[in-house]
Formats: sequence, structure tokens, C-alpha cells
Amino acid sequence: MHGLYNFVRGPLAWVAFILFIGGSLYRLISMYKLARKKDVFVFEYTTLYFALRSILHWIIPFGNINSRNRPIFTIVTFAFHICLLAVPIFLLAHIILWDESFNINWWSLPDGVADIMALIVVAGCGYFLWRRLTQPEAKFVTSAGDYVILAIVAAPFITGFLAYHQWLGYKFWLILHILSGEIWLAAIPFTRLSHMLFFPLNRAYIGSEFGAVRHVRDY
Amino acid sequence: MAEPAKRIEDAGLDEGAAKLTPEKIEKVINGVLAAEGGARLKVYVDTCVHCGLCSDACHYYLSHDKDPTYSPVGKVKQTLWPILKNKGRVSPEFIKKASEIASTECNLCRRCVHYCPMGVDIAYLMVMVRRICHRLGVTPLYIQDTAHSHSATMNQMWVKEDEWIDSLQWQEDEARDEIPTLRIPLEKEGADVMYSIIGPEPKFRAQLIYQAAVIMDLAGVDWTMPASTGWDNSDMCMFTGEFEMMGRLKRDHFEAAQRLKVKKIVMGECGHAYRSVYDVGNRWLGWKWPPVPVIHAAQFFYELLRDGKIKVAKKFDEVVTIQDPCNIVRGMGLHEKVRYVVKAFCKDVVEMEPNRDHNFCCCAGGGVINCGPPWKMKRMHGNRVKAEQLAATGVKTVISPCHNCHGGIEDIIHHYKLGMHLKFLGDIIYDCMEKPGAV
Amino acid sequence: MRKRTLALNIGMGILVSILAFVLIPAYSQEDIVTLEDDAFGDRQRPAAVFAHEEHNEKAEIEECNVCHHLYQHGEKVEDESSESMGCADCHNVKEGYPTMPLMKAYHDMCQGCHKEKGEGPITCGECHPRGEPVASHETAH
Ligand code: HEM
Ligand code: HEM
Ligand code: SF4
Ligand code: SF4
Repeated sequence: MHGLYNFVRGPLAWVAFILFIGGSLYRLISMYKLARKKDVFVFEYTTLYFALRSILHWIIPFGNINSRNRPIFTIVTFAFHICLLAVPIFLLAHIILWDESFNINWWSLPDGVADIMALIVVAGCGYFLWRRLTQPEAKFVTSAGDYVILAIVAAPFITGFLAYHQWLGYKFWLILHILSGEIWLAAIPFTRLSHMLFFPLNRAYIGSEFGAVRHVRDY
Repeated sequence: MAEPAKRIEDAGLDEGAAKLTPEKIEKVINGVLAAEGGARLKVYVDTCVHCGLCSDACHYYLSHDKDPTYSPVGKVKQTLWPILKNKGRVSPEFIKKASEIASTECNLCRRCVHYCPMGVDIAYLMVMVRRICHRLGVTPLYIQDTAHSHSATMNQMWVKEDEWIDSLQWQEDEARDEIPTLRIPLEKEGADVMYSIIGPEPKFRAQLIYQAAVIMDLAGVDWTMPASTGWDNSDMCMFTGEFEMMGRLKRDHFEAAQRLKVKKIVMGECGHAYRSVYDVGNRWLGWKWPPVPVIHAAQFFYELLRDGKIKVAKKFDEVVTIQDPCNIVRGMGLHEKVRYVVKAFCKDVVEMEPNRDHNFCCCAGGGVINCGPPWKMKRMHGNRVKAEQLAATGVKTVISPCHNCHGGIEDIIHHYKLGMHLKFLGDIIYDCMEKPGAV
Repeated sequence: MRKRTLALNIGMGILVSILAFVLIPAYSQEDIVTLEDDAFGDRQRPAAVFAHEEHNEKAEIEECNVCHHLYQHGEKVEDESSESMGCADCHNVKEGYPTMPLMKAYHDMCQGCHKEKGEGPITCGECHPRGEPVASHETAH
């Protein structure tokens, strides 16, 4: 009975983190090299000021025209992304695992709050799913892969929630949770979730192309 | 709005596609991708989260009652995604459609960049599609003809050298009736300013050369125009994806300025030409910044007015609106300078909503109007929002410092029966400035 | 949780003391069923289930100091045991120095052994079950 749990918590977790960190480094470094070879002006034009201007305007709610035009979407996506990043990092259960394994720990969210935040992530995924199914502009560019991504993203939060509440077979959900969490991590560098890595770089460049070269806003 | 159901015939697309084989398509596409498909292409395609948020930016999409096939990402889905997914194994029919979409359903106006949270530059992607189609020889006929003119004559309108000089002298003659001392200095080495314009000016709108000459003369500018090639700053090759030719054109233009040893180039009231000289062509040639400083007429007029070189004699006695040309607002942030000049010369301005760097494109830019009559109705149906914007201002005069905007907005005004007319900044300044030496 | 105001601290302290005063006599005759250490104050999880007698029988633990250890100067004192003390007497809730923080001490004590022996609960919910730990009560008697 310890066997499966130990396997997903031990070796598989290593695999997941190596894929996540190694994969992210690989994607970033290979993209850097490609840009050096084919798009040198990216480095020429990018300036710190305009990079930050652009990034800030797009990570502050209502900092750009589109987010002001779509208040509901903006609120959903910000709540979704904040919870999505904060919960795994600041969850007490996770920190305890870090502490047990590596003797490191940090501030944690109260469990009750984290629980609600997990639900917000799931609700956010539900909202995105609804958009994909009903809103023509999203529906038209949606393919099976986009649903898979949503499922990958939602899974650790659903299973984590069920495990936390110990409904319907605690150990089953916990093991499924850890597995889905590992898929989640490993998927980031190799799917569209890599937008987490490239969002700041993309914005840094386009923000500079607009700001430093063409003297205009990009938001 | 109902889309014309019948297929549009265009020999450039139809005959070009008829010559293709799947093997050739695959080879050419993979060649282009291997040589030119860099990190930007990869990142833009990989990180687009398919959210569709860019849709609301596009006048085509809005004007077609939010038909998602006209959304920015929708156009990428119909062109680049299958090309990349199938590694170039697409049919001639597909290439034809892709060329049509990239060339006639996107103005490369970059408004969608203001809407995409990832900062995906859809215009860049559409240019990539045009580039592939160009290399496959599937480009709309009219714009291809203009590109040929560029290759053969280094100007857009098949203007021969003697015709060019003749046009300038003719306008000089005309202007001397008004200002007897006026000259259009040709090939004046060491002048401060080289003034360059687009091919259609000597061909169809010589009056604009006259007006520019009067403004230059009265403002006391030490200026000149080249007598040989390099005078035409326009660039259809940038829009067809014929970058090699674009490079030649830009080099020729800069070299004219260097040969004349001028301090800067002032470009006439054209948006796309400015884009090609300031932003695109220089990069292709490997210059981070243009080797000779270039400014657009709107900025030039602003500086003349600010420095007191030209003065307002009377106000243009009408309320006007301003059509912001994408290529000098999102292309250079000149919107406030344009307003500075317009407000100095006109009674009042009623803004369209949205305006300035968030403006809607005229739907002529990006080479779309240059695809010619077969595609005109696409522009009309594709820019109903502009007609609504214009009508809402309730004014009769639209000021726009861009040839493309003029062509596009004029067509929209006629199609939607708006009863308005357009003016360049130069028109207003010429009409309303102090003219000390005039007889 | 760890960040609470002083007032809340005192309030909770009083509350817990009253509860303890009321509850301890009721439980004192029975076997211990949960490790409800008062030192934690308000807790994130239900107290860990622990049936003392049953556990020790099952785990075949004879010596008290297998669990009720005593450390002096960082060394475990072999023949001493600490059942007269509370864990929190040495292990602070917050600071880890010089001893392990209290929660970690508990986790280490239980899970460490369970992992070593390959038996016994090692996941959160097995020790901190939601709702009344009915099953444990019953097996405890
Ligand atoms: C290596 C991978 C992971 C391990 C070992 C792990 C382990 C755990 C554990 C032990 C719990 C506590 C369950 C309980 O309360 O009994 C938990 C809860 C949770 N985890 Fe993970 N986790 C992992 C990855 C992730 C990831 C990647 C995410 C999110 C993206 C995530 C999100 C959550 C959530 C949302 C909860 C439940 C919070 C709540 O509803 O209160 N976990 N996880
Ligand atoms: C710091 C990191 C991140 C940033 C700045 C970021 C930003 C964005 C942005 C701008 C979008 C576009 C649509 C929208 O605004 O919702 C988006 C969508 C999305 N993000 Fe992130 N993201 C980040 C990390 C992540 C991570 C780590 C995940 C999951 C593993 C994730 C999952 C998603 C999903 C699923 C969508 C698509 C929603 C849909 O289907 O329409 N994001 N993100
Ligand atoms: S026309 Fe403008 S807004 Fe529409 S897709 Fe092209 S660049 Fe984007
Ligand atoms: S807004 Fe950007 S990320 Fe979203 S679909 Fe459009 S191009 Fe893709």
C-alpha cells in the first residue's frame, strides 16, 4: 500500500520536476539561440523600460484596452491565474512535503483559503470551457488539444480538492492528484502552457518594438 | 453583412495556383520556413492560447457581424496553422485561399497587437503567409503588377525618368504663377532635406507636389528632390512578400539621399511608405535605424508650425475629423502631432471613437487596395465599422495624412453614401497658411 | 494560521484551556484516541488519530522512549524517557531552533517510523481524517 504512493511521490515526482525545469530551460535556451540566429533585431530593439512597461500593463488588471472592454473575462482570468500559481506554491500540504524532503519551508496559505482558491481555478477552467463551447470567436479556433489542456490544468485542482475533503476514497484521489500534478508540471514546457515562459519575453519584445521603435503604446 | 457568394476571379491567384504541384508547394514552404522562420514565428504560433481575444480588434471581424473566420487568429488558423501542421503538404487550392486571406482580408494594421495578451503580432504572421505565397507565385494580379513596376522602374507606377522630371518641372511652372521665385530644386547636393513621395503622386496627383513645393518654399526649407530613381519611397514588394525587391527599393531610396548628402529625408503624406522605410526595409537591409534620418510629412509639418516657419493665416472654416493612418500612429506615434497641426488650422475636430493609436484601419492599407478592383467589395464589406464611425461624427471633412487612407476612405464614403470628402494635411496647410511672397 | 494577532492568541488560549478543563476528565479514564496537542491553538486539520494502546500492541513497542524520547545537548539520552512532559515543552510551534518545530516533530516521529517499517499511515488524510474519527474510537475500545 505504501508502494504506489511512494512511487508517485518519489521517482515520478523527480521525473516531473526534471521535465518541468529541464524542459523549460531547454525551450528558453533553444529559443534564445534561434533568435540569435534568425531574429537578431529582437535583441537590438528590446529595452528594459519598454519591456517592463508592456509586461506591467498586461499583468495589472484593466491595464490595457482589451481587459477594460471585457471586465468579466478580466476578473476571471486574473482570479484564475493568481490562484493557479499561488495554490501549489503556498499550499500547506505541499510545503510540508518540501520540508520533509528537503528541510525547506515558507509561508503558507490557510487551508480554508487555499480550498476556495482551488475552486476558483476549477471555476475558471469551467468558464474557459464554456467560452470554447459557445463563443464563436473562441470556438472557431478551438481544437481537441485545447480541451486537453484545460483538462490537464483543472485535474490537480479537482483531485486535490477531493483528496483534501476526503470524499469518495481518499487515497485514490490523492494518488490521482499527485499524478495529475506531475502531468501538469511536465506539460508546461511542451504545450501551449509554455505561455508562462514566453509571455514575458514576447511582451518584452513587442512592447519594445512598439515603444522604443515606433513610439507608441502596445496596450 | 452578406458576403458576395460568388467566387472572385483573380488571374494572379487562379493561374498562379494552377501551376503548382504538391511537391513544389512542400519544397518552397519548407525552404522559406527553414531560411526565414525564426523564433518569432515559433513563439507566436506556440504560445497563442487560442483565446480569440484579438477578435474585437479587427474591423473585418466587427464589420462581418463578428464572423470568426475574419478574426485575426481565425485568419492564422485558416492559413499558417495547417501549413505548419502538415509541414508544407497543402494543396494548390489551399495556397490560393491562404493568399486571398492574407492579401485581401488583413491590412497588417497591427491593431490586434493591442488586443492580444500574449503580444502575438498577427500582421507578421500574415506577412509570412504572403511571403510563402509570393515564393509560390500566387499573389493577386494587380498588386503583383505594381511590384513588377517596382522591379522594372524602381517606382510603383511605371513612371519613366523623363516623365518624372517633366512632372516636377510642370508643377514648378504652375507654382511660379503663384510664387514667382519658387523652385523645385532637383539633385541639389548638400541640401538639408530630400523630399520623397510615392509613385502615384506624379502619375495622378501632381497637385500634391505643387502644394508641397509651396510649403517648402514659404517655410524657407533648403530642400531637393532626386532626378533619378530613389524618388519613389513607396513599396508594394514589402506587401507581397518580395523582400529582396523591397531591399533594393529601400537601398535605392537611401542611396539617393546619401548621394545628395542631405541631412534628412522628409517623406510625403503616405503611411505604408513610411513603414517600409522606417520600420521594415531598413531591418531587411540590416540597419537597426535608417542610415539617413527620415521623418513623415505629418511630423515635418508639425515641426515647421511649432518653430514658426509656417503661420496660420485663416482657419479652415469647418469642423473636421481625423482618420489616423495606422502606419504613422501604431507605426510612429504621430497622432498628437497630427492633431497639433489640424487644431491649428481648423475650426474644430470631432474625434471618431476609437481614435489615435487605437484607431480602426481604413481597410485599404497593407496592400489590400492595391489588389485592385476584383477585391474592392471586400474592403467595403470589411469596413462597415469605419463607415459607422465616420457617420457618427456628423462632419463633412476628413483629414488624413495618408494616400492609402484617402483611397480607402473615399471608397467607403461613396459605398455607404456618407457625403464626405477627404483632405491631406498639405491641402489644409496650403489653403490656410500665410503666403508672404504670393502674387 | 501561524500569523495571528496577540488578542486572538490569548482568546484561543483561554478557549482551549476551558475546553481542556471540561474535556480532560471525560477522557482521562480512556485510552488516548487523538493527539490533540493544545500548543497548536487553532488547527488547520483535525487532530491526528492515534489509539495509543492499540498502536503499541500492533507495532510491538515495549519501551516508552521509542516515542517519548529525551534529548540533551543534541544527543538522545538512551535510558531516559519523557512521557511526563508535553512534546511542546521542547518543540516550539514556530521556531525550529534548537529543536524541530512541533508539527514537524510529530510528522517525523510518526511518518519516519511508518516509512521505515513500510507500514502505517503516511498521507495527510490517513492521520487527519475529516469528520468524527469514529472507526478509531471503536477499535480503541
Ligand atoms: C509532485 C506533485 C504533487 C504532490 C506530491 C502533491 C501533494 C499534495 C498533497 C499531499 C495534498 C494534500 C491532500 C490532503 O489534504 O490530504 C495536495 C493538495 C492539493 N494540491 Fe497537490 N501535489 C502535487 C502537485 C500539485 C500541483 C502541480 C498542483 C496544482 C497545479 C496541486 C494542487 C493542489 C491542490 C489544489 C490541493 C488541494 C487544496 C484544497 O482543496 O484545499 N498539487 N497536494
Ligand atoms: C506567470 C505566468 C502566466 C501568465 C502571465 C499567463 C498569462 C495568460 C494569458 C495572458 C492568457 C490569455 C488569456 C487570458 O488572459 O486568460 C492565459 C491563458 C491561459 N493560461 Fe496562463 N499564464 C501564466 C501561467 C499559466 C500556467 C502556469 C498555466 C497552467 C499550467 C496557465 C493556464 C492557462 C490556460 C489554461 C489559459 C487558457 C484559457 C483558455 O482556454 O482560454 N497559465 N494565460
Ligand atoms: S486587419 Fe489589422 S486587426 Fe485585422 S488581423 Fe490584420 S492586422 Fe490584425
Ligand atoms: S489574442 Fe493572441 S493568444 Fe489569443 S487567440 Fe488571438 S493571437 Fe492567440
